Amino acid sequence: MTRALGGLAAAGLLAGLVMAFGVAPREATQGNVQRIMYLHVPSVWVAYLAFAVVFVASVVYLARRAEAADRLAHASAELGVLFTGLTIATGSIWGKPTWGTWWTWDARLTSVAILFVMYVGYLLLRGMIDERERAARSAAVLGVVAALNIPLVHFSVYWWRTLHQPPSLMKPGGSSMPPVIVAALLVNFAAFSLLYLYFLGRRVRLLGLEAEAAR
Amino acid sequence: MPDNWGFVLAAYGLAAAVLIGYWRRLARKERDLERK
Amino acid sequence: MERRSKETLNALVFFSLLLLFVFQFALGPDRERLAAALPGILWLGFVLAGLLGLGRTFVLERENDCWDALVLVPGDKSAIYVGKLAGNLLLMLTVEVLLLALFTVFFNVDLVPALPGLALVVALGTLGLAAVGTLFAAMTAQVRARELLFPVLLLPVQVPVLLATVKATEAVLLGEPLSAVAHWLKLLVAADVVYVVTGVLTFDVLLES
Repeated sequence: MTRALGGLAAAGLLAGLVMAFGVAPREATQGNVQRIMYLHVPSVWVAYLAFAVVFVASVVYLARRAEAADRLAHASAELGVLFTGLTIATGSIWGKPTWGTWWTWDARLTSVAILFVMYVGYLLLRGMIDERERAARSAAVLGVVAALNIPLVHFSVYWWRTLHQPPSLMKPGGSSMPPVIVAALLVNFAAFSLLYLYFLGRRVRLLGLEAEAAR
Repeated sequence: MPDNWGFVLAAYGLAAAVLIGYWRRLARKERDLERK
Repeated sequence: MERRSKETLNALVFFSLLLLFVFQFALGPDRERLAAALPGILWLGFVLAGLLGLGRTFVLERENDCWDALVLVPGDKSAIYVGKLAGNLLLMLTVEVLLLALFTVFFNVDLVPALPGLALVVALGTLGLAAVGTLFAAMTAQVRARELLFPVLLLPVQVPVLLATVKATEAVLLGEPLSAVAHWLKLLVAADVVYVVTGVLTFDVLLES
């Protein structure tokens, strides 16, 4: 099952690369640097998906105390941090030639950076508690607090950067994007989602093996 | 706008390195645990 | 117990005073730059004092080995959370009032006209800080590197509260009406509600044996 998912993810990523470099045209204003978006935007999508899974799994753990839910939360948080890191790195690499700087305190960059440190803290907490059951309980509470904090972070950072202007989400793009670019993005969204699911399966299984070995 | 292929290559290269690295780490840890 | 909390309070106030000196050294004597940076400095001081003060929420239970007693308290544990939160709130507000008074003296700023608005912002912000701080203090109380982990967990979560309070304080000090920062105040109220409710609901999970 995981193996099939892995194959599917690999095929999806290959298709995504073909779409990003073969099918999608050179973007008119940004040039070929825009092709980084086929990597960057699906990464941030997977990161948010992963943190949503952490939230749901944490709530389930608090309600049912199922070890499986805890493993799911742990694995998903790790993947969320991985993909958030990837988002920040690829965004930086895109920003240097486009904006002329590796980093600016733009609203979206800032909120993603805060997410990153929040969930790195989550992983640190997990790593610092030896007792499995207590680590699970503490992490579940933190998983809930961190997730509830995401909208607060989002709004506060947006207002902080844009003063009083109402937030108009996803300003560039939207319907103005050519269909080919949208298609290339969608293929990569699907590929990255499959990759996330594949990694999640592997990581959860590994956590199970680790728990058994420790017993 | 210049093309900056170097930046595109760096981004995709970095992503490939990170994802493959993570995948191999998972596989290695799994093997180690199963051997025990 | 009475004596211990008084000790904490004294040390915290002294710490805040030292912070004032450090800020002064870091910024230099330029009055205008100081005025521009004042809201940020003020909240930096509150947060740093909070990290130290809130991190000690369960220091008594830990040192006297009564963590187990806390765990074994029968009935609803959320009462413990509310009690600890009230204590922390009182501690923080006392430190903040003293720090504000010291600010007016050492930085020669007149806070009196802004006081009603400032009081509201400080109260809302401190509630958010203390609500998460109390919960996280319980979470990290039994962790090896708790002095390190507590701020590492608390600071990123506090970003919305920090941004909202700094921006609102800035407006209040400039003499703007509270309606100009209504969106920030709403965000603070929302954050406070979310944090307190989550704290009440999840606190007993942290105290299970």
